[in-house]
Amino acid sequence: MKRNIVGWLIMLPTLILFSFYVWEPLIESIILSFFNAQGMRLKEFVGLANYKFIFNHPDFKSAFLNTFSYTFWSLIIGFLVPIIMAILINELIRFKGFSRVSLYLPSVIPGLAVALMWTFIYKPSETGLLNIILGKFGISPQPWLTNPKWTIPLIVIMMTWRSAGATMLIYLAGLQNINPELYEASVIDGANILHRIRYITIPQIYNLARSLLVLQIIAVFQVLYEPLVMTNGGPNNASLSLMQLMYRYAFERFDYPKAASVSVFIGLMLVLITVLYNTFVKEKDM
Amino acid sequence: MKKIKRCSILRILLVSIFIISLLGIGYPQTTKKIVLKLGMWPEDTLVSDVEMFKKWKQKFEAKYPNVEVVPATYKYSPDTFVPLAEAGRLPTIFETWFTEPQKLISQGFVKDITNELKKKGWDKYMNPSVKAILSKNGRIYGIPRDAYALGLYINLDLFRKAGLINPDGTPKYPKTWTELANIAKIIKEKTGRAGFCLLAKDNAGGWHFTQIAWDFGAKFEIQKDGKWYANLNSPEVVAAMNFIKDLRWKYDVLTDDPTSENWGTGFEVIGTGRAAMYLGAQDSVNQPTQVYGLPPDKLAIVPVPRGPKGQYSLMGGTPYMFSNKATSEEVMAALNFLEIMGKAPVVTEDSIAGMKEDAQNRVKNGVPVIPSFPAWINKDYLEAQEKILNEYRNVDMRFFNDYYNWLKKPGVLRPEEPVLTQDLYAELTKVLQAVVTDRNADVKKLLDTANKNFQELLDAIVNK
Repeated sequence: MKRNIVGWLIMLPTLILFSFYVWEPLIESIILSFFNAQGMRLKEFVGLANYKFIFNHPDFKSAFLNTFSYTFWSLIIGFLVPIIMAILINELIRFKGFSRVSLYLPSVIPGLAVALMWTFIYKPSETGLLNIILGKFGISPQPWLTNPKWTIPLIVIMMTWRSAGATMLIYLAGLQNINPELYEASVIDGANILHRIRYITIPQIYNLARSLLVLQIIAVFQVLYEPLVMTNGGPNNASLSLMQLMYRYAFERFDYPKAASVSVFIGLMLVLITVLYNTFVKEKDM
Repeated sequence: MKKIKRCSILRILLVSIFIISLLGIGYPQTTKKIVLKLGMWPEDTLVSDVEMFKKWKQKFEAKYPNVEVVPATYKYSPDTFVPLAEAGRLPTIFETWFTEPQKLISQGFVKDITNELKKKGWDKYMNPSVKAILSKNGRIYGIPRDAYALGLYINLDLFRKAGLINPDGTPKYPKTWTELANIAKIIKEKTGRAGFCLLAKDNAGGWHFTQIAWDFGAKFEIQKDGKWYANLNSPEVVAAMNFIKDLRWKYDVLTDDPTSENWGTGFEVIGTGRAAMYLGAQDSVNQPTQVYGLPPDKLAIVPVPRGPKGQYSLMGGTPYMFSNKATSEEVMAALNFLEIMGKAPVVTEDSIAGMKEDAQNRVKNGVPVIPSFPAWINKDYLEAQEKILNEYRNVDMRFFNDYYNWLKKPGVLRPEEPVLTQDLYAELTKVLQAVVTDRNADVKKLLDTANKNFQELLDAIVNK
């Protein structure tokens, strides 16, 4: 009993901070979504009216589909990159530290700076960096972000460039926890590098990868500032995300209840995806 | 031990409460001042502007010793406004944007100042179209700093390089939208720079487009039997949008990526000579000059080109508004301060001195001293203003006269479309983005979708 009290005391500051900064706003936001308000002051209970409004808004459908598209592309483009990077670095004998630092470096740059930098890279005219490079090979300037079909994958490539390094470090730590005896034994048994990766490395980091996959989905589902800065949701809503829709309700219209409804909806979607994923993957495990 | 400590703490508390209450008794009668927090106080980096405000503050406090002026620089921005307002920390008086008054009024963030204005008699002097933007249900919530009316900004350097200058030195500016396309093409060919800067990044794109489309005869919102109807896919709007499409694909005279241009970059483009023409109003004349370094004599503002169905100028205003927490005395103090600044519709020694200081400051910073658009309509004020402008003139008025004379013609000025204006702009901006990024964009189909979307919003919000 006494030991428990000490434990609780140690956790108390965290619990207080958590309830103040996370749980309380979360509950407030759910309550807010059922009311209409003047500024942030609740006026009257309106039931599901805010939800009805946001679902019927012409921008909702594109934001909803785009958000899934971001998630889809981030899994296609972004999920394997840090794993491959970690395995490669782990196999390196020289320049290990150097490669680790240089791959992590983009994560150190402020996100907005990265987004702005990549807008210059993707600039659709002859002055865009990519187009300058293509020009050297005689290829005419490409529209990049202004081609609605490319917008989301291109933004995802930028997001991957920025954050793969950080995820790679986690995988690297996971890889280094693998008992080296396993590798030694496999080498004695005549396994080559591909065998080692297939039968030791991947099974050993499987659980880690599973958690990171869920975390990645949760993070990408909330994509906001990249499209906000790079395309402002355009062209013609091609990169508008649910979070940006929320941002617009809150900070362009001052309609906080509708913003709250969007964020509650995002929260519900994430819970749903995580639960579905976990049940699906667990079944497969068995 | 514990007891002693508790006793002493209690004693300290009691004593301090006593002292505080003593202070409190003496306070209100003798030293309580009205605190006037000035949101339009310039940022520290604008050194000469700050100097000017310091002078005004000194003069004001000498004249009204019961008021203390506190600098509270606040640059209006939608993402900081609500927290500030909800926490009761808004400055007494602040500037906002022409798009905001109705939103701020309906959310209860700003103070109804009708009574104070009546006391001053200023309510009668306000330009009626400006007053409409600042009022709701017959109550007035703000006063104009100045009003604006869109014209066409011209970078004279590029016109000169393209050989588009008359023998008398004035620019051969386009009189119609078709001429604009041709002149823009000449500029592109001769200088390599864009002829025209079109906005398509955010709602400012839709805002400028309504200005262009009006000249093609567009009317975006129609009221019938008390209901509002979207009219975004009329033949006139389609024609205007096809014109934009031509500017991008047939003439190819726009800046590199219109989907990254917004109100501010438009002025940068003009100021730095990346494009030769841009829709802008006289109140932003410090943007290309003071902010982006264009010498004042390299700038002209001319009328917006004529379209097949007219030649309009979109007008609005930059308002001062007041915190809903401000008392009537604080509002009166703020109005008195505006008199000292020369931004009030009165002609006094102070207001004339204020206007002069403002003009001097413009000359010093290389900002053209040109007439503001009359937000107030009392004659003596307008005459005094004109006299001061003539005295401090630092530009050749031939580069601006056509614009000002055009604005005086009846029927030229046109306020923004009345309902859900920002949503209208958002829908139009989406179409603009599609049109400037896709050579094969189906203009009619895009506008049909925009029209349907906007009608749904009208039905959900306005027609319910």
